[in-house]
Amino acid sequence: MNMHTDPLVDDYLRRLDAAASALPAHRRDELVSQIRDHLQEALRQGPAGDKAAVRNVLERLGPPEEIAAAATESAPPGQLAAGFSQVNGLAIASVLLAVLWFAGIGAVLALVFGYRARREIENSAGSQTGSGLATAGIILGWIGITILVAGVILISFRPLKH
Amino acid sequence: MEPGRARNAVSQLRKGTLEYCVLALLRDGQRYGFELVRTLSEADGLLISEGTIYPLLSRLRRDHLVSTSWQESEAGPPRRYYQLTDAGKRALADFSDEWARFRNAVDALVTTQGEQDDEHAH
Repeated sequence: MNMHTDPLVDDYLRRLDAAASALPAHRRDELVSQIRDHLQEALRQGPAGDKAAVRNVLERLGPPEEIAAAATESAPPGQLAAGFSQVNGLAIASVLLAVLWFAGIGAVLALVFGYRARREIENSAGSQTGSGLATAGIILGWIGITILVAGVILISFRPLKH
Repeated sequence: MEPGRARNAVSQLRKGTLEYCVLALLRDGQRYGFELVRTLSEADGLLISEGTIYPLLSRLRRDHLVSTSWQESEAGPPRRYYQLTDAGKRALADFSDEWARFRNAVDALVTTQGEQDDEHAH
């Protein structure tokens, strides 16, 4: 943590953080931590407080605005979603299974697939869509489970005739 | 023709091939970010701003072409290492083939064209 005391480095990281404000929070954090690690590695060998060395390292990195721009253009959220996106298969399976129900087994699988689909879509950085479908599968899945439970209760408490 | 035009063409090529240069650097084993960046920037003309390589590394990770892991270093804090995934190895192999074909085609055109011009000049 000894490098962070250098005002030039602090200023650089602040500019980077501000320039990357268009990125989702986790991507911005990743970028800033990558650059911070880079600075730490680069400045570790030299003597502390060597202004010329710090300036040289920062110059080689390039303007923070340029780095942030590279990060923003590497996955423009709208463009990626429009260009190469595909609907997550598990999301479709989730809705189908929820609707078909299959004596309750479909509803359970719909939930498993639905939650997994949402996670995959979230991690795909815009290259997959279908989170609405996955949510529909999850809701229908829970309805299916409710119907199953209600059915079981009804059957087990049915007054015996004869 | 103005020289900026040729430079622009090469800069576009560099942009398109940089990620495969990164994958190629990882072919023989994992490297940490700083090491990767410095090796690239020492390869002539491949990198203008070292910092722009980090967003590229993040994208390769999101595309599952590289994976990352934190490892202790002998001195200082742990380092984030990058290594090729199987998909990354395949992408690199595909690119190597395509690139060899492309390079040969361009070389053949550019060099024979140059020789013809020389002949005209004489």
